[in-house]
Amino acid sequence: MIDLTYLVAAISFGSLLTSTLTFSAPLILGALGGLCSERSGVINIGLEGKMLAAACATGYIAQASQNPILGLTAGIFVATLLAMLHWTLTQTYRIDHIISGMGINALCAGGTSLISKTFPELGSKQMAAFSIYVYWLCAWTAVIAIWWILKSTRGGLRLYAVGNDPDKSRQMGIKPGKVRLQALLGTGLLTGLAGALIVTNAGSFSDGMTSGRGYIALAALILGGWRPWPTLIAAVLFGLFDSLQLQLQGQPLFGQVIPGEFWQALPYLVTLIALAGIAGKSRAPAGLGKP
Amino acid sequence: MTHAVQMIGITKLFGSVEALRDVDLTVQSGHIHAIVGENGAGKTTLMKVLYGAHQASEGQIKLNGEPVSFRDSKEAIAAGIGMVSQHYSIIPELTCLQNLVLGAEPGPVISYAAAESRANELAKQMGFQFNWHEEASEISPSQGQKLEILKLLWRNAKILILDEPTAMLAPDDADLLYAKLHELTEQGATVLVVTHRLPEVMEHCDEVTVLRGGKLIDSCPVSQTNPAELAEKMVGQAVTEHSPIPCNPGETLLAVRNLVVKGDKGNDAVKDASFELKSGELVGIAGVDGNGQRELFYALMGTRHSSGEIYLGNQNLTNASTAERIQAGIRLIAEDRHNEAVIEDWSIADNAILGLQRTNRVLAGRSINRNTQAELAKNVTETFPTKFDNVNQRFRDLSGGNQQKVVAARSLQESPQVVLAFQPTRGIDLYVAGLVYDGLIKATREGATVLVVSFDLDELMTYCDRILVMNHGEIAEVPAELRQDRSAIGRMMVGAE
Repeated sequence: MIDLTYLVAAISFGSLLTSTLTFSAPLILGALGGLCSERSGVINIGLEGKMLAAACATGYIAQASQNPILGLTAGIFVATLLAMLHWTLTQTYRIDHIISGMGINALCAGGTSLISKTFPELGSKQMAAFSIYVYWLCAWTAVIAIWWILKSTRGGLRLYAVGNDPDKSRQMGIKPGKVRLQALLGTGLLTGLAGALIVTNAGSFSDGMTSGRGYIALAALILGGWRPWPTLIAAVLFGLFDSLQLQLQGQPLFGQVIPGEFWQALPYLVTLIALAGIAGKSRAPAGLGKP
Repeated sequence: MTHAVQMIGITKLFGSVEALRDVDLTVQSGHIHAIVGENGAGKTTLMKVLYGAHQASEGQIKLNGEPVSFRDSKEAIAAGIGMVSQHYSIIPELTCLQNLVLGAEPGPVISYAAAESRANELAKQMGFQFNWHEEASEISPSQGQKLEILKLLWRNAKILILDEPTAMLAPDDADLLYAKLHELTEQGATVLVVTHRLPEVMEHCDEVTVLRGGKLIDSCPVSQTNPAELAEKMVGQAVTEHSPIPCNPGETLLAVRNLVVKGDKGNDAVKDASFELKSGELVGIAGVDGNGQRELFYALMGTRHSSGEIYLGNQNLTNASTAERIQAGIRLIAEDRHNEAVIEDWSIADNAILGLQRTNRVLAGRSINRNTQAELAKNVTETFPTKFDNVNQRFRDLSGGNQQKVVAARSLQESPQVVLAFQPTRGIDLYVAGLVYDGLIKATREGATVLVVSFDLDELMTYCDRILVMNHGEIAEVPAELRQDRSAIGRMMVGAE
């Protein structure tokens, strides 16, 4: 057995816990945003774009107004607007869900980049923001709330039903379009929070700052089998490996110096392996993408 | 006696197509009223108008004498109307209990414990038993049918519309269902049953209404009519009784020994099945849907792995590919026409040779022999009278009945040895169903053998030379003396004998 204790010794467990919580919180929020959408049958590959746009709006409005409430509200508003755009495109105009989601991602990546380059002076001021603990609380409360909604409310049952079979749900007097609208409002709220959290953590907006976390959130959702608690576990697992890789940067492995890129790739690698190994057993909502 | 339902002068247009023309329907309170007619006669459309799923273009609806008009099913449900459609509305991923309450939840927050106790009461009242927390994908079709009826009761429906309720049930289960429906009507409910099974109408219903081509033909108490008269009214011409042509079975053509086929859930869907089909006979498989018929056909076509032996004459097909089996003369009328039998965006001509592309006459070197294709396209549309514009039109644009005729006709091309027919008359009317069976019988008299799966026992009893029964993956043969004994076969279907 090769001795890896020196690696363990390099880990500071106190800061590991805090950074795991920090890294996992936006993933939890983003993944739950995706859960609302995908449980209702709307494929949502556009989490990344919504989070990025929300981060941009929150960052700049909070700097300009020096008001954290306005900043957060702006972030949620923009993410919700994008969620409604996704709803309109997929439900009213019946555009393919993946294409609509990719379009939203492209729009947000380009739009936020344009804003940050056009108004560079925006980023100079200190950003007024809520404490990061508020967002942690939101993330963990959201898990409990969504779990409860799915388990014991009318809305949760209808969400399941519409996501599994919109046609049969329609026969039971349920309007899939309406259920999906409500679900996407939830997506807007949660991805808005996720974006606001990311920008709050960094202190100001920078171009492309979500750096794929919307996709990782989606992966956590799939890994969690579209269920709230397993999704939480998947998001925390990813957050844990993301924090680990930061602490292990520069540490040699088996006497070799390992490039930093290897450590950076670790959380993605773990997620990939976990997805390939476990996701096969999870069951996607049967009505994903159906009109 | 009050009239629970009065529909007066109902006309329904879909675009320029007239689905219903000036139809009247009067249903007496506390009765079981049958609506009969062929496919496309407008039975289901009429019921959907009553249920609010379609809006009548003209006409009036009264419930207990009060005029009503429903903009959607939700309003009809609120007025006490419930409908079980032919295509089940049960969502397999939800539990039975979730399915029961879906769409009629007691409040924004659901207490599943309270819901379960009411569910148990309703089930007890009907003499049903449910494990409410079981996922609906696990329950049998007959349990599903029972769940559908409980869903109506959960919604306090007083007027129950059932579209082909016994299509998935064994005869004894069907009798039980009607017995329970009678109990409900005694308690004040009114039941409308859409069906094409006339014996059921005669035995269990109070009144019957006949529709044909979207028009009302007749409406009378069941006691004043008989099956022959009803059949004539449905078809519009006297239905000639099928007179059996004596069967002279020849050599054994298809021999299946110890066949075991896995189902989708990893269980043994076909268990150690052995049977032989002789040249010249039409053999039916009776059984309730989901007892392994599907898997048996997949295994015979070679699209699902199986263990055991399959011989066609002296040729061992056990490990043969599907292509080799087709070349050897096995043909299929698939159950799921859209997904398994045709490519709907292709033309009729291309679909006419689909599956036959490797047979001798169709294949010319490495390309398709267009002359043979033209000939086959002509044959598949002429074997049974098919309505179409030209053979190059998209298959999708044919009506369901005409699609089925083409698929059935295709299985009879290029000298079939074994025709596997899964519900060959699905979606076609009585007259053409008779023609399809005549076509299958003709093939057997020319030396082929035909294996038919049908969930309609009467159909099998009418046309088949022998009947096998499939129950939980096991195949048994109905003894010759019981071949016309409906209830004996029914008991075999559910394993009671």
